Amino acid sequence: MNKLGAVIAFTYRNKVKTKSFRITTLLLAVLLIVALNIPYAIQLFSGNDGEGALKLGIATGSYNELAQQISEVAVQAQKQQTQAASATTSNTTAPTQIDWQEQPRSEAELNRLIQNKELDGYLLLKGAGKDAFPTVTLVSDNDATSAQTLLQSAAQIVKLRSVAGGQLNEQQLQELSSPVTIVHQSPDQQGSGGTDDNGRSYTRENFILVYILMILFFISLTMTGNMVASEITSEKSSRVMEILITSVSPLTQMFGKIIGIFLVGITQMGVYAVVVIAHLFLPYYQDVLAQFNLHVSNLSWHVAVLGFMFYILGYFLYSTLYAAVGSIVSRTEDLGQAVSILTVLTLAAFYIGIFSISNPNSLIIRIASYVPFFAPTTALIRIGLGTIAWWEVLVSTIILLVSILVCGWISTKIYRTGVLMYGKRPTWKELRRAMKAYKI
Amino acid sequence: MNPLQLNGIVKQYAGHTAVDGLSLEVEAGEIYGLLGANGAGKTTTMRMVLGLIYPDEGSILYNGKPYHSGLQPLMGYLPEERGLYPKVKISDQLLYLANLRGMKNADAKQSLRYWLERFDAMEYENKRIEELSKGNQQKMGFIAAVIHRPQILILDEAFSGLDPVNVEMLKEVVLELRSEGTAILFSTHRMEHVEELCRHLTMLRRSKPVLQGDIREIKKSYPREHVLLRTPQPVPNLELLEGVQSVNRHDDGNYRIHITNEEAAQRILQAAVAQGTVDRFEIQEPTLNEIFIKVVGSSHE
Repeated sequence: MNKLGAVIAFTYRNKVKTKSFRITTLLLAVLLIVALNIPYAIQLFSGNDGEGALKLGIATGSYNELAQQISEVAVQAQKQQTQAASATTSNTTAPTQIDWQEQPRSEAELNRLIQNKELDGYLLLKGAGKDAFPTVTLVSDNDATSAQTLLQSAAQIVKLRSVAGGQLNEQQLQELSSPVTIVHQSPDQQGSGGTDDNGRSYTRENFILVYILMILFFISLTMTGNMVASEITSEKSSRVMEILITSVSPLTQMFGKIIGIFLVGITQMGVYAVVVIAHLFLPYYQDVLAQFNLHVSNLSWHVAVLGFMFYILGYFLYSTLYAAVGSIVSRTEDLGQAVSILTVLTLAAFYIGIFSISNPNSLIIRIASYVPFFAPTTALIRIGLGTIAWWEVLVSTIILLVSILVCGWISTKIYRTGVLMYGKRPTWKELRRAMKAYKI
Repeated sequence: MNPLQLNGIVKQYAGHTAVDGLSLEVEAGEIYGLLGANGAGKTTTMRMVLGLIYPDEGSILYNGKPYHSGLQPLMGYLPEERGLYPKVKISDQLLYLANLRGMKNADAKQSLRYWLERFDAMEYENKRIEELSKGNQQKMGFIAAVIHRPQILILDEAFSGLDPVNVEMLKEVVLELRSEGTAILFSTHRMEHVEELCRHLTMLRRSKPVLQGDIREIKKSYPREHVLLRTPQPVPNLELLEGVQSVNRHDDGNYRIHITNEEAAQRILQAAVAQGTVDRFEIQEPTLNEIFIKVVGSSHE
């Protein structure tokens, strides 16, 4: 036990001390901070005259009344938009504020106002014929796409109103102009009244959490896994292995290495987690999140906790295999090729997850969540976004634990043999023969 | 009860026998020479002694007991292809290796200081291995093997690649360890080192021990076939004497005469005395090198 501690401490210290580790960690943390602040920065720089409201004027020609209606409807829609912070309306931009300059003026006058920066733009209504609805143009220097969308729907309602000519009441008009949305629901959800009490914890916050955890799982696993393998190979190629294997049992050595690198990975993740959590609880950042209708309170902590657990289990499963591969390679140059099969496995786990993230209850995800190599990502998706019963989580975890034991056992055997073999990478046959010869 | 005892060990690898029926015993305070050409089974033997692989037949006993993991702190190993972590501070890695051998940190530090001073290498303490010359790297490897004062020390080609000054320094240390009671298994193909250091030896040829025992007795059992003669003046016609096979006169005036039987030596001496004064006359024991070549075959390096 003492020796295991020594191996862990030595591995951890030497890895964390390296310049490359410090620089990558710092660099990624800085990138993360930048990425987290991009929405805030965009909001800062795209603000209009500081107030955030678009100043619009109206040039009507002879359509005073229509112009009035459009602006009224638009203002109303705007109010609704800001109030309705429901999770299902997935608008990713901040609601547009329009500040109407009430009295209509002539085009020339408005153009001059734009030039003087007193106005951001104006709405131009031009006749298209006697009874026809006028064409509406938004004249503006800025990119005002969101305002355009808002005004378009407002104009649509006004047009409906003018065409219907008072034969429909307000509610019918509303009904006509509101789009039909089809909500998807599976039968078992319907059975429980369509509510979210069936283990389904889908929120947009959880979606983002699962997505981030999956990417972290992939990046961290590939990185730490390769670290484990290259540490072992370099010990072999520098021949310090010869001394190590006579001082410590291979099992202690291998798991010391794996746990040491695990702590390195956790340290790195910890740095990122601190960055993210600090942002989540900073007051200004909560405003930013609120802009996107994201609320920390909507996060399910069980998703984070279980995600972390699956990450640890996944790490131990993969890293024992990485250790085995590292032990049979004698030179660092040959390592890349040797670990490629493990890289493919991690990639598969990642892509099965990414491609199924919008369809978390598909058959492939259900099956994959019981396959130990894919479970860390797929079970996470089912927990975070789909439906999964507690016993399913348990079964998946047990399968994962058992395969860690099996892979660990096989890996130690390979490790024990591999570290004694030098020269070219042995084939399976040679390895088996060597195992037999060494009586392992 | 000797620290190390090998009883008829056999090891087979995929059809071929790497070590075939080797028995030997290393006493405390003894350096035991293990000789053999490359591929004769030395490394396999050492790996078995270190408990890395197990013999197919026979047994290895340590102080009378079979291998157990508690032996690790008692054994030291200097592998033939030695190396340490190239990028880790020397004191860090040597202390780490000492820890793995079961040493407490404070003891390890003290021992490290002692050895660095012993090798005149205090200034390397905070350097990295890759910054050191090859000879100094080897010294650090040696320290790694002995820092925990092992009871059984296994040295594989300990002096290869070192300059004469460092060879002397290491030899002194090895002798010092021997006099402290360490049992040392010493493999090499440099015969002069074996002659100088070892009491007993085993010569391996194609996995089999072909020559074994006390070095002096081995030497005695081989006929003395060389005569060294130094005379101020040349001695003509030596090669005509009975029993003389060949005569070489070196530039320094020494004759080296190969004889077929020891009686010929006396005839050479008489002939030389008849010619004038004799500065030096010696019937030489065969060197281990000669025995080795005779036994193992001249095809070897």
